[in-house]
Amino acid sequence: MPKLVLKFENSVLKEVPVGASEVSIGRSPENGIMIDNPAVSHFHARVFNEDGRLMLEDFGSLNGTFVNGQRVKMVTLKAGDSVGIGKHTIVISESRDLDGFAIGSGKPVQAAPKLNETVMLDTKERREFLQKVAAVGESAQVAPARLKVPTLVVRNGRTDRREYMLNDKLTVIGKSALATVKLKGWFAPKAAAQINRRDDQSYYIGAADKVPSVNGNPITQPTQLSPGDVIEVAGIQLEFVYRD
Amino acid sequence: MELEYGARSDTGCVRENNEDSYRASPDMQLFVLSDGMGGLECGEVASRMAVDTILEHCRRADSNPSLPLTGGRIGGVSEATNRLASAVRVANSAVYSAAQGSAQARAMGATVVAVRFVGERMSLAHVGDSRAYRLRGDDFEQLTRDHSFIAEQMRQGRMTEQQAGSSRLQNVLVRALGIDPFVEVDVSEELVLDTDTVLLCSDGVTRELSDAQITAVLRETEEVQEAADRVVDLAKQAGGGDNITAIVVRPAARPVGAFGRLGKWFKDSA
Repeated sequence: MPKLVLKFENSVLKEVPVGASEVSIGRSPENGIMIDNPAVSHFHARVFNEDGRLMLEDFGSLNGTFVNGQRVKMVTLKAGDSVGIGKHTIVISESRDLDGFAIGSGKPVQAAPKLNETVMLDTKERREFLQKVAAVGESAQVAPARLKVPTLVVRNGRTDRREYMLNDKLTVIGKSALATVKLKGWFAPKAAAQINRRDDQSYYIGAADKVPSVNGNPITQPTQLSPGDVIEVAGIQLEFVYRD
Repeated sequence: MELEYGARSDTGCVRENNEDSYRASPDMQLFVLSDGMGGLECGEVASRMAVDTILEHCRRADSNPSLPLTGGRIGGVSEATNRLASAVRVANSAVYSAAQGSAQARAMGATVVAVRFVGERMSLAHVGDSRAYRLRGDDFEQLTRDHSFIAEQMRQGRMTEQQAGSSRLQNVLVRALGIDPFVEVDVSEELVLDTDTVLLCSDGVTRELSDAQITAVLRETEEVQEAADRVVDLAKQAGGGDNITAIVVRPAARPVGAFGRLGKWFKDSA
C-alpha cells in the first residue's frame, strides 16, 4: 500500500497510507492531510487509487500542485515522486517501508560529537528537532503570492521567441545548442549568461561568456531575480515576471 | 568537450584511517567523491561502496539506456542528471542494506558529491556536506548546499555565519547515504565554459581553507594534478584535522590557432 509522507523542509510531519478511500489534502481540518498555511486552499487536492494506479488531482487550487516541479491537474503518481503544495512536500513512498523512518532511532548518538568526526543526527531526534524549527518558521510565513510560472519576456533584441517559461533547473542564454533563450546574429556569444533554479524555487542569474546587468547594474556574483527585474546581456533585454 | 582532471586523497594529520573515497572515470566524464562515517572500518567501506555503486550504475545505464531509473524522475533536468540522481539512490540502498546487515555497521553512512559532463552541460548530484565549487573568472561559487545542521539553520536565518563558525555542531549532518531506506538527492545543472574550473572536495578541505585560499591555488596552478595536490597539502599544513580529498576538473586547454585568435578578438570586441 503506498503511503504519503508530508514533509516541511527536511522534517517528516505526517505519514498517511492510501488505501481504498482517497486522501484529501488542504487547509481545512476535514482533510486527511491538513496543511495549515495560507498558500494552501481549503480543499486543495486529493490522492486516490484507480485501477491499481495512484492518482493525484488538483481541485483547481489557487497556488497549484506540483509534481517533481511541474504544475499538474491530474497525474499518475509513482514511488519517489515529490508533490509540492505551498512550501510543503508530499513524498510518495511504498508502505513496506512504513517503519523505515524509525530505523535510525535505535542507533547510538553522541551528544557532543568529537571534533572533526562527522555524525548523522538520529532520525527521530532530527525529525523532532526540525519539526520544532519548521513550526516556528511556518508561523512567521506569509502566503507566497507568486506560485506562478516564472517567465522571461523579451523587451528588446533578436531572439527566437518573445517569451520563455523557465521550466528547467538550468536556462542558458546564447547561441549554444544548450540554450533555451536562443540568440541570433553572427557575433552573439555561445553562452552569454545562465539562470539556475534552486531547490527553494528561487532563480539566480550568473555570468557566462558575458557579464549580465540586472536593472542596469553589472552583476559580480550570481544574483537572485525578483519579479520586474530587467536583465541586459549580449544586446538583449529581458524582463523576469511570474505569469499565471 | 575534452576534460583534464587531477585528484588526491590524504588521511590528514589526526585521523588514523582515510574514510574518503573518490573515483574518476574520464571515459564517462564522471567524477565522484564520498566521505564515509561510522566506527571501525565502516566509514571506508561506506564511502567506497557509494562511489563504486554510482560508477557502476552509470556504466550499466550507458550500455543499456532502458535501465529503469531508481526513484522518481525529476522534472526540468536532463536524462543524464536523472541518471546521476538514480545512481545516488542506488548507492544509498547499497550502503543502507550493508548497514542493516551487521550490528557493527549500524551507524555506517556516507556523503556523496558526483558530477558528470555531457557536452557543455554538467550534471550535479549530492547528499551531505561534501561540496562542488566552480571558479569562473573572479567568481568562486559553491554549487552545492550542505545538508548539515548548521547550513540548514543558516538558510532558515536562525544562525549567523559567525555563530555557525563557532558552533560545536559543525559535523552534524541532516542527510546522508545509508541512514534511511530512501534518500532525497539534490540535483542541479550547470553550463560549462572552457575557462571554468570545477573542484569537488570533502569537508577536510573546507574546514581548513578559506574560499580565498582555494581560489588562489586554482587560479595560480596550471596543471590540474598540481592544483589538487596543492589544495590537499595546504589543508594538511593548516591542521589536517580530517581526511582530505580534492578532485579538480577543467576543460582541456586547446591550442589556439590563428582562427582561434581571430574568433577571440571578435568575441572580445562584440
